[in-house]
Amino acid sequence: MNKLFTWILEHPKSVLVMLFVLTAVSLNAMRSIHIETDVDAMLPKHSDAYINKQVLDDTFGSSDLVIVGILNEEKGIYNEHTLSLVQELTDWMGEQPLLRTLSLNDLLSLATIKDIQGSASGLDVQPFMDGVPKTKEEIEHLKQRMREFGIYEDVIVSADGVGTILAVRPQPNARETYAEIYDLVKNKVDELEARGGGEKFFISGRPVIEGVFGVYMPQEMKRMQPIIIALLILLLYVSFRSPRGVVLPLLTVLIAEVWTVGTMAALGYNIYTITTMLPILIMAIGIADAVHFLSRERLLAHFSKYSHRKERIIEVMHELWKPMVMTSVTTAVGFLSMLTSDLPPIQEFGMFAALGVAYALVITLLLFPAALMLLPEKNGHADKKPMFTDYVDWTSKVIIEYPKRIMVMFAILVAVSLYGLSLIKVDASMVAQFKPNDPVRHADTVLNQHFSGTTSLDVMIDTGKENGLLEPAFLQKIVELQTEIEKDPVVGDTSSIAEFLMVMNKALNEDNPDYYRVPDSSDLAAQYLLLYSFSGAPDDFETFMTSDYRKAHVRINMKTDSTDAVASLLTKLRNKTDVWFPASEGYKVDWAGTGYTLDALAKMIIDGQITSLALSIFAIFLLCLVMFKRLLIAVVAMIPVTLAVTVNYGTMGNLGIPLDLATALTGSMALGIGVDFAIHYLHRYHEESVANHSYEESVINTNHSVGHAILFNTIVVVGGFLVLLSANLYPQMKLGALIAATMIICYAATVYLFPVLLGLGKDKIKV
Amino acid sequence: MSMKKVILSALAALTMVVSPLYASEPTTGLEVMKLVEARDDGDDLIQKMTQRLIDKRGNVREREMISFRKDYGLDSKSVTYFLSPANVRDTAMLTWDYADEAKDDDQWLYLPALKKVRRISSSDRGDYFMGTDFTFEDIKQTPELSDYNWTLVGSDTVDGADVWVVDAEPKTSDLKKDLGYSKVRYYVRKDIDMYIKVDFWDRKGKELKHLVSTDIKQVDGIWTAMGGVMNNVQTHHKTELTFSGHQYNTGLSDRMFTERMIKRGYRGK
Repeated sequence: MNKLFTWILEHPKSVLVMLFVLTAVSLNAMRSIHIETDVDAMLPKHSDAYINKQVLDDTFGSSDLVIVGILNEEKGIYNEHTLSLVQELTDWMGEQPLLRTLSLNDLLSLATIKDIQGSASGLDVQPFMDGVPKTKEEIEHLKQRMREFGIYEDVIVSADGVGTILAVRPQPNARETYAEIYDLVKNKVDELEARGGGEKFFISGRPVIEGVFGVYMPQEMKRMQPIIIALLILLLYVSFRSPRGVVLPLLTVLIAEVWTVGTMAALGYNIYTITTMLPILIMAIGIADAVHFLSRERLLAHFSKYSHRKERIIEVMHELWKPMVMTSVTTAVGFLSMLTSDLPPIQEFGMFAALGVAYALVITLLLFPAALMLLPEKNGHADKKPMFTDYVDWTSKVIIEYPKRIMVMFAILVAVSLYGLSLIKVDASMVAQFKPNDPVRHADTVLNQHFSGTTSLDVMIDTGKENGLLEPAFLQKIVELQTEIEKDPVVGDTSSIAEFLMVMNKALNEDNPDYYRVPDSSDLAAQYLLLYSFSGAPDDFETFMTSDYRKAHVRINMKTDSTDAVASLLTKLRNKTDVWFPASEGYKVDWAGTGYTLDALAKMIIDGQITSLALSIFAIFLLCLVMFKRLLIAVVAMIPVTLAVTVNYGTMGNLGIPLDLATALTGSMALGIGVDFAIHYLHRYHEESVANHSYEESVINTNHSVGHAILFNTIVVVGGFLVLLSANLYPQMKLGALIAATMIICYAATVYLFPVLLGLGKDKIKV
Repeated sequence: MSMKKVILSALAALTMVVSPLYASEPTTGLEVMKLVEARDDGDDLIQKMTQRLIDKRGNVREREMISFRKDYGLDSKSVTYFLSPANVRDTAMLTWDYADEAKDDDQWLYLPALKKVRRISSSDRGDYFMGTDFTFEDIKQTPELSDYNWTLVGSDTVDGADVWVVDAEPKTSDLKKDLGYSKVRYYVRKDIDMYIKVDFWDRKGKELKHLVSTDIKQVDGIWTAMGGVMNNVQTHHKTELTFSGHQYNTGLSDRMFTERMIKRGYRGK
């Protein structure tokens, strides 16, 4: 090691040039970074939710639609002005290259949907609106037909007639255009709204939600980064009061950040929502090594133990490389435990957080010695009392005088948290990630109030044989399934081919309502569909069945994407479908859609959470055992972090903050950062014990030396994460608040509870 | 030879007299398409047709039918009987097609499972025909010439045959919307006045479909394409048509084209 250190000190310029070149290379690589907002891409490729979604999109067309709602609270939508807006917007959508408008199911609106009507002599398939109806009679006729037809009521027009929607598909495989589509549609409806006339427009749907997410994420990264840097500059200046004390640590974390993101980009990894928090995390953690290095160097310089600065810096490196590596390893192990998760975003977050920690360590060990060799020596370091010295001394007093009160307070905290743990919930909702007053979430809420719902859930039933879905018995079961599903209050509507066949059956029997039932024979159903194909388009029913009439698709519109609602509906329905469509009769039932994806995501978050937490606690425990070589000390070392993690999840339970993709990370993150405190503390305490100081002296001395460092570290981490509170998206805010709170608990547990525990027993615990 | 053809040939002969140099060469797109419109296609026709609908995953749905057509001046009547698949066998469609634009075509369908003849609403020109990739406009012998601006782009060779390349642009934006096309390009064989390839662009100006006629030969002295493939490059759906058993000018009786007859189903060989 010393050889390496010496080499660094003898070639400071080469080291700096190397750092510079690597950073430039990383910056260049960063340009190709790709942001992934697709929730399905967050699932492992082998999970059935992911596979089923691909099958659904491929077989029945994507159910991800941009939804534009038009509400006219005053007059309702059945008036010439509103209907002309519907027509105009429909025509406009038909001309947009970013939208796919080849068939009926690509663009559903009052101006595209078709009416199937029977007459004495035959069957009429006609658009409900053939141009904008002008006369009162025409408008009244439209209203009446919509009501009688039934299928589109609540779906295209709200039951109270106050609103109508347009649903349009983006071009396939063009996720990168979603944000652009939102802007495009938003501009158009703003223009329509500005004309006046009482209509209000609302835009939602999964592409919109994902698109807006994709815009918010990089925006937030760009906006928060300078705030965090400013905060760091302030904290560093307060601590070190010298330009180099600010610039060097800052450079270290910025370079580590650039390297990490550059590596991600170079290896072709995507940025997910939660990945956006990686730079902040690397900053908060990476700064610790830098601060330790600088503090130690200044201390040695102050006492002028070494005449030559090269020797002094070698001594610093020699003293510090081991603890720095140790804390970095424990932190990295905490993050690497996320690899056990099934979810790529969590895995990648853990992997790159660990890499970032490693980078920060390497950069500290290279940049500081090299820079300090080149910078002019400064004499007479400010010999001021460090900040918070009074507070730190006060903590020692409290610990020695009131150990019982401290124990009781922590016991209460643990009890409250354990209760909270029992209340914890999971929610993978996408919409809930937006703040309630966000335009996207507001629009989604309004649309869900008036229409059948913006969240899709899809059932695909394979009958196992060609023409199987035309069988009357099968169609009847589909009808019953739909009736059952629609009983659930979170379900707005369901649709399937059975409904259309029932309408045709009625239309071809002189519109006799008695015939509103599934066709009596398979041949009849086939002939209806053939008949329909003479007036309708070939793909009008493409979204409901395959062309060989083997697989059927039942579409469910849900009014919420909350995990609780989806999970309970799924459980209930699975029990039914198992009975109605048994595998023994050749049926195969598969679920898909946004609701199903989010449900799968929620399950994997929980499973991954438990495994990864257990694993990281165990791994860090083993590391501590290796480091301290005593079981009891390793156990004690785990207490503050375990406690902090418990309080973290307990608080979530108590405050009703659900586990989601972002908050699920807090446990492992807190563990990885928090254990450093314990290691630093125990190291120092150990030295005090070795020097044969009494318990009280040891506590006071340990507090004096590492108390400051831990406090500074806590302030940086807490401050950095509190900046996340200014975010536009809930996951970032929640994660910021939770990590900040957890770090405070971790600090308190280390500085207050630790010494109290070490003071237990007659002989006190010797480290 | 149909009446139209006779008149046109006479007209062509006349032009030749007036301007002997390059007289038979049309100089505008419209002239080319008038030759196409005037091409002899018999006064009546019996043919078998197989439709193969191929979706983007390569799933094939096949239908067989036999159809009868008879011209009544510029109007025509036709009957199509489905032979397979089994669940639609004996379904029959009767169409009375009027040249008068103001008059909607009449269509009836006989559904054997319902044992009833049902009238069906006339379709828009841009509507797809029987689940194929052809619209009602596409299956017409010639498009409505007065609805398009025609441009003769030049000459080319397709499959070794000399062709005129003619672009058609619907005259109004309403027509573009109705037809679903912003532009259509016809490749018309110079020797037989028949288009053998057509390219279609959608309303947004994006490439949409390609039609290629195959196996062109003379049957009873009339040039006939025995196959055609329409390939939709946006939906990746494809329709292959094959024709066989052509019999031109057999003198089909008017009785064949009535509601009563389609109920009886296809009896003949």
